[in-house]
This record gives sequence, structure tokens and C-alpha cells, in this order.
Amino acid sequence: MGGEVRELREHPAFVCRCRDVTVDDVIKAIDEGCRDLECLKRRLGIGMGPCQGRTCIPIVLGILARRLGKRHDEIELPTIRAPIIPIPIEYFLKSIDVKEVSKS
Amino acid sequence: MRREVNVLIIGAGISGLSIAYSLIKRGVKDVLVVDKSYISAGSTGRCATGIRASFTSKEHVVLMKRGIELWKEYASSELGREGLYYDQSGYVWVARKEESVEFFSKLTRLHNSLGVPTRLLSIDELKELVPTLNTELVAGAMLDPTAGKSYPFDTIFALLKYVTRNSVEVVTHAEAKKLIVKSGKVVGAEIEGTEVRAEYVVVAAGSGSRDLLKTVGIDLPISNIPRHALITEPYREAFKPLVIDWDTPGVPYVVQSKEGGFFMGRDIEEEAELPLTSQRIDFIPKVVKPLTQLFPWLRNVRVLRYWVGYYVTTPDHHPIYGPFEEVENLYVATGFSGHGYMMGPVTGELIANWILDGKPGIPEAERLVPSRFKVGALIKELAVVG
Repeated sequence: MGGEVRELREHPAFVCRCRDVTVDDVIKAIDEGCRDLECLKRRLGIGMGPCQGRTCIPIVLGILARRLGKRHDEIELPTIRAPIIPIPIEYFLKSIDVKEVSKS
Repeated sequence: MRREVNVLIIGAGISGLSIAYSLIKRGVKDVLVVDKSYISAGSTGRCATGIRASFTSKEHVVLMKRGIELWKEYASSELGREGLYYDQSGYVWVARKEESVEFFSKLTRLHNSLGVPTRLLSIDELKELVPTLNTELVAGAMLDPTAGKSYPFDTIFALLKYVTRNSVEVVTHAEAKKLIVKSGKVVGAEIEGTEVRAEYVVVAAGSGSRDLLKTVGIDLPISNIPRHALITEPYREAFKPLVIDWDTPGVPYVVQSKEGGFFMGRDIEEEAELPLTSQRIDFIPKVVKPLTQLFPWLRNVRVLRYWVGYYVTTPDHHPIYGPFEEVENLYVATGFSGHGYMMGPVTGELIANWILDGKPGIPEAERLVPSRFKVGALIKELAVVG
């Protein structure tokens, strides 16, 4: 979260290891008005780190559902963005342009 | 949700929230902001974070010079304590061709005459400023030292906290389906089946603005053109300014975020009004190929996320601001043609002024009114770019 030095509790529970987001951060954001995963994603950076939400989204979904008194399947999932798994730029350099294909 | 307010703002992106912020600063707090989706779901949350005043029309330059002053004011105010920042790390335009260096030299004279201190960079200066750039392909460069970047979500949530603490109500997932006009005057809007009455209505709904205004018979010439961007995994700081590859068609750019990811974008030929799910398999190669020539080490960097957002584009590529001749008390702030995020703070100031004083406070903004398309008074560029 913005790279600031965080004063951590003795045993903080992390929900997001990409951005160092804790359970307390999630609860605070929900109580401040973020009532869906799209909002929490932008507020906290969950789901936008190198793991693309594989770790944090199910956990945050559970916290949000409990906090709002909803079932898990009532919580809408955020948009998944390509390429899903981080891909080195090198691989894209090898790709052939669409126009080059149509010429041949 | 309140049923009766002084000002109803439709759209909770940077424009809508900045307008609410400026209204509070001028003592107006009976304000409701609604959005059909989540906060900053539109073009604000999809932008590539750059901010500059080095444009090629007087209107853009004057507005963004004030805009940059306001970004700095925002960052040093209570909004800054909530995480909003303006990192004045500059823009660097890199030329691959000698004739482009000559064009840069013309541009700097134009910018300087309008009070924007752009200047040419020698190759040595460029190496110092962007040490990780491969200068073998570079003929010259231009620097705008007043330009910079900030992060849309830090900005949006700082604004949201401030406005809601100051009794402005912000309701998301509430769609304004139509505006309500009675005897030539806007009196409110229908929101999720509820009629909300308002003395003033501001449409700051980005790509949704055109359809909403059609409900009262106003048709603005706006096209929503899909634009593509990506971000990589975060790495240690490699360079500070936003770098633009001027001589490659579609003008690719790259900028490193505060958290370390590299934002990249390039204009590719697109069809207006395609949905935001229209991802292009050819986009990523098209943007990384030219940028990897300038930054060869980028080949080892990994692409994390790729998304599509709209440039809400007008025929003269300038925003549409202000009141309508046809409907009283109705205001618009849209059609930013790719510059809505950077223009947010100045948009807020001038729309709040317009509502309260009957004029925007910046004379150049008066030329950006919706009626300019009817009378053919389109904004002119002082230098033809490209």
C-alpha cells in the first residue's frame, strides 16, 4: 500500500502478500464504505499484484461476505485481466504482426 | 439516497468528485454524486496517470497550467494527507529522426510563448535524466519539467473521503436513466426508478454522457474510442519521467508507477463504441516492440495486466464544458478525448465557478461550451502534431 513504512501489530494476518494488505486493512475499508470487491481492489490493491488475486480474492470475499451478512455466492467477483499469469515481454517480441500474416 | 438536493452530479470519476470538492470549497455542501457502477469504473480508473500542460492549443495550455497549480494545491492539502500526490517528474519526448528534433524546437517556442517551460535536451542531458535509455536510436529529445504523474485510485479515494466527510452523498451502483426537464429547465433526474429533484444537474458521466443527454434531446458529437494500456510487475525505480516514443506511429509511451510497475500504451486503429471487453491480441506486441528498442532491458520485465478504456473523444479533441442554450441549470463536463484525469482539478474549479458565478473564471473555458459544434467554432491547434 503505497510503500509507506507500516507499524505492524505483533501478529498481523495478511490477506495479500503482494501488497502487504492485512485483515484489519480490509475491515477498515469495508467500514469506510467499500461494499464490493471492485472497490476494495482499487482501494487496497488486492487482486492487482503479481498473483492476480489467486491468494487474496477468496479470503477478502469471505471477510466481505461475513461483514455484510451475505452468502459467498452473493458477492460479485472483480474483472480478471489478461494475461492472468505474468509473461515476460521477450515472448511478445517474437509474435508475428497480423498484417504480416495476411500479406504472406 | 437524498431525494432533493441543490446540485446533482452524475458520474463518480475524477470530474464528478473534483466538482463536488470545488463546490464544498465554495460553501455548497448539499450535493449528491451518483454513479451507475463502482467508483471510478470508467475512464478515470483506466487512465495511464500522466499530467501535463504542454499541449498545442491555447485552451489546453491555459487550462492545464491552472490544472497543475491545482494538483499541487490538492497534494499539499488535506487530500495529500489522505494519499493523493502529484509527482512532478516530467515528460520526455524522444525523437528518432532529425526532422522531429526541428519540430520539437518549434514546439518549445510555442510552449514557451504560452508560459510552459519545455526545452530541448542534449543526448548527455537525456542520458542523465533517463540513464536506462538506449540512446543509439535517439536523434534528440524534448523535456517538459512541469509535467508529472499521480495515481488515480489514491486520488479518487482521497477525494471520496473528503467530500463524504463534508456532507456530500456519493451513491454507487445507482444509474441516472434520464434527466427531467420542465419548461426549459432541468429539475432533476430519474435514478433507479426514483425521482431526485435538483436545482442544478451536472453531467460528468464520461462515456455514458452522450446517451444520458439524449434523454432530453441533446446530442453531443462524442465518440467512445477504445484505447489500450498495460502494466508490468513492479520493479525498482528505473527512470522518473514519462517517456514518449515520438516517431513511432501511435506514439507509444512508458511511465513507471510509484509502486514500480511500468504503464505502457500506444494508439492503435480502433472502431468507436466497441465494448470494453474488446481486447486485441495484437496490442501487447505492438506496444512492447518499439519501447524495447528504447529500453532493451524491458524484455526481461513481465506483463501483469492489460485493459481497455475509452477516450471519450470530440471532433476537436477538446473537452465539452459548461451550460446549454436549450436547457437551463444543466451543465456538462465530458469529452476529454484522453485528458480527463489530468484535467480533473481544473474541471472541478471551473464548473463550480460556472454554477455559482455564471462564468468559469478562466476565459478560455468559455470557448469549450457545447454550442461550439453547432456554430462551427471548433478549437484550433496552433501546431499540427504528427
